[in-house]
Amino acid sequence: MTVKVRFFARFRELLGTDILVEKKSGTTVAALVKEIAEKKKEGYNAIFDEKGNFHEFVIVMRNGKRLEPAETTTVKVTDGDEIAVFPPVAGG
Amino acid sequence: MIAIQHEDVDINRLINEAKRPGTGAVVVFDGVVRDDDIREMELEAYEEVALRELEKIAEDAKRLHNLFHVDIVHRIGRLSVGENILIIVASAGHRPEAYAGSRYIIEEIKKGVPIWKKELRKDGDRWVPGEHPHGSGKHVH
Repeated sequence: MTVKVRFFARFRELLGTDILVEKKSGTTVAALVKEIAEKKKEGYNAIFDEKGNFHEFVIVMRNGKRLEPAETTTVKVTDGDEIAVFPPVAGG
Repeated sequence: MIAIQHEDVDINRLINEAKRPGTGAVVVFDGVVRDDDIREMELEAYEEVALRELEKIAEDAKRLHNLFHVDIVHRIGRLSVGENILIIVASAGHRPEAYAGSRYIIEEIKKGVPIWKKELRKDGDRWVPGEHPHGSGKHVH
């Protein structure tokens, strides 16, 4: 199955965006993001803390809907999902 | 008009179109690029989600504050000092509703709509920090 991962703002600069990933089913949202972020240390450190958890301020969406903290490690991605990861918003 | 776009917008036209029968007040919020020792500002949005959220904020504002009409135009791309970033037009029967509705809209945008600003500064670039920092990584207590 194919999942698209989109990073925004500072995370986009560090990791790129619109990354298409081929995955077997059973992968959680957190595991998927971690796998991509691990390729670039600075990007990983911007998103995850030393324990491998999302930093408190990181926002994760699945198909345009925000995931609660616990959901990122329990919700599994499915074919066609769009996962978005971004820092606190600053519009207006 | 609810939009995320590169182009500026004709505010006078929006004001005229916001005047519905019974309108007694139109409040315009115009957020502009401030001269904070920056060269330019670059704005980025998660466009599909941000647009949907702006539409919901406009509908909620109308319902909660008895507004007749709402426009929200948020610009993206590279903007110079003095250019418009965000235009909010809110019309109502009386000024308390129009002011309150306009204030509600800007505060809701600040809270959660996925848009970011980067200051292109003379001494280096800087992402503007968000005012509402709790995200999905928030620790559960």
